[in-house]
Amino acid sequence: MANLLFYLMGLGAVIGSLLVVTSKNPITSVLSLLGTFFCLATIYLLAGFQFLAAAQILVYGGAIMVLFLFVVMLLNLGHPEEGSGLEFMNKRRMPFAFAASAMLIVLTFAGVLGQGSAPGAVELAHMATIGDLAGLMFGSFLLPFEAASILLMGAAVAVIVLAKRERTQAVER
Amino acid sequence: MMALLNNSAMEFQALTSADWNGGAPMLCVTAGIILALLAEVLPGFKPARHVAFLASLCAAVLFEMRILGAPQGTIFQGTFSADRASALWGILFCFSGLLAWLYSRRYYKEEKPFLAEHDILMLCSVLGMMLMAGAEDLLTFFVGLELLSVPLYSLACFRRVRMESVEAGLRYFLLGAFAAGLFLFGTALMYVATGTISLAGLRETGLDSSLSLLGVALMASALFFKVSVFPFQFWVPDVYQGSPTPVTVFMATGTKAAAFAFLMKVVFLLPASAAGILSIMAIATMAIGNLGALIQEDLKRMLGYSSVAHAGTLLLVVTSSLIGDPQAGAPLQAALYYMAAYVFTAAGAFGMIAMLEGSGEHFTKLESLRGLGTRRPLLAGALSIFMLSLGGFPATGGFFGKYFVFTSTLRADMTVVSVLGVLLSVVALGYYLRVIMTMWMRPPVEGQAAPSAYRPAANFATGLCVFFVLALGFAPGWFLERFF
Repeated sequence: MANLLFYLMGLGAVIGSLLVVTSKNPITSVLSLLGTFFCLATIYLLAGFQFLAAAQILVYGGAIMVLFLFVVMLLNLGHPEEGSGLEFMNKRRMPFAFAASAMLIVLTFAGVLGQGSAPGAVELAHMATIGDLAGLMFGSFLLPFEAASILLMGAAVAVIVLAKRERTQAVER
Repeated sequence: MMALLNNSAMEFQALTSADWNGGAPMLCVTAGIILALLAEVLPGFKPARHVAFLASLCAAVLFEMRILGAPQGTIFQGTFSADRASALWGILFCFSGLLAWLYSRRYYKEEKPFLAEHDILMLCSVLGMMLMAGAEDLLTFFVGLELLSVPLYSLACFRRVRMESVEAGLRYFLLGAFAAGLFLFGTALMYVATGTISLAGLRETGLDSSLSLLGVALMASALFFKVSVFPFQFWVPDVYQGSPTPVTVFMATGTKAAAFAFLMKVVFLLPASAAGILSIMAIATMAIGNLGALIQEDLKRMLGYSSVAHAGTLLLVVTSSLIGDPQAGAPLQAALYYMAAYVFTAAGAFGMIAMLEGSGEHFTKLESLRGLGTRRPLLAGALSIFMLSLGGFPATGGFFGKYFVFTSTLRADMTVVSVLGVLLSVVALGYYLRVIMTMWMRPPVEGQAAPSAYRPAANFATGLCVFFVLALGFAPGWFLERFF
């Protein structure tokens, strides 16, 4: 049962992420991303990461996706003009991209299957509780955790530089 | 997860004095970031921002010197190492940030209201570089990498009124995001295969399964993106040319140094059979960089290609470290010396462009340098020294950098590769000497005003660069004894 659910959710995540990059309508992209996040959250839950699953739904599925949707609707990107957008999907480069991705996928699968037992795999008996998570964040990984807070602050400043308009200026070439 | 959970089973440990001593430089920079932010917000404290910037970097350098004298070893429960190498890299990053900052004074015109953000973002990047150079596990490194990159994406398109700048930022962001994705995917695969992400753990378990090798390959690709070696170098000339020049100063010196610092650390992850591929990549990088630079007319673009060539030379050291230099520690020393010389040389060279640009955009063209030798002999003299050092002339820091690199590759029995590398360095002289010739031997263009020379901060930075380039060239023994 759990296995079946895992494969279903895995399939959903793959299809969802394919839709995100291929669909021409931004709203479809955003909604597919939401579906992908939901599938991923279920997979996390199946693997025993309750906190991660909850955070995935709350933070990504909730806050961030609403923001995306809001921006897309606010900027009225719903109806792209003919010929605009997705120029990078040009026909000549597609075969190379497909070949490279296919190779990566095959290599990964071959690697995973050839691995036999994976030391990194989780045993369900040792589920990560919130206590464990806190132990990691404030114990072994204190430094990267604190650095991540500076990173968020730096990113906020960076966004202000990009987005704030002091006065209207035409972009000159 | 198992290995991670076992660690967390230990009870919380208070920070030890080694943690504080080793983390002090990073704490200084963090304090600088916060103080600079506060200074901008509080009324009447605006000028304090400069003080915060300078003081935090100076304090960080002092604390790094202290670590240099008394290395603290691995700290923060094995996630960071405060040893001599990371301290020395840290000093280089501080200088890189300081020089970029000095050259950015009076450079921006339309962007004046955002200068505070500019400085804060630079400090954030310096902090990221320190984290990268000292990282002892892949998670710490990744946070450092992002802390370096995210502010730089924004800085690259800091001159929003210029199309080239916006384009450079977007290009840098897309490629950087792609590289970050590759790195994370590689890390995940390595974790699945070995159950650990700490470098010490990876050293213990070894990476022999095909899955972990794939992970290493992906991670290496991401690092090669950042250091811009063949075949991941395509973005460099465009991004370096389009970004504001002070930011280019920072990218060319700091970012490259930080990525190489970590590359030298994780070289043990690569299988020994990768040495052949690495040397081919190094030679191809040098060839593309040097031959590409030969045909450029724009000075900034030319230096961009030259920086690709220099990355190729440094990749040779990585290779010799992988093959195994009989003199252990020599490749790291060579990389550090080369990068130290390169930081001051490239910062000076790009910085001079920033200075010249202040008198008009057209001053980035090679033609515009005609007659600079007679009109501004001091500027032309400094630029000549930088060009000679980039070309590896004796009596400059660049010469000893190259010398250490090639002696290390020769010791590692890479004779053919070394000969090719030296030959390509000779090709490089073609374009470096062309700049010097244009400045000193060709008459000025009729009716073109001479660039103004009054920029105290930039002049000071240039003086600092000239001093270190010559000092590293004349007294390598003194530096080697004390620092390397």
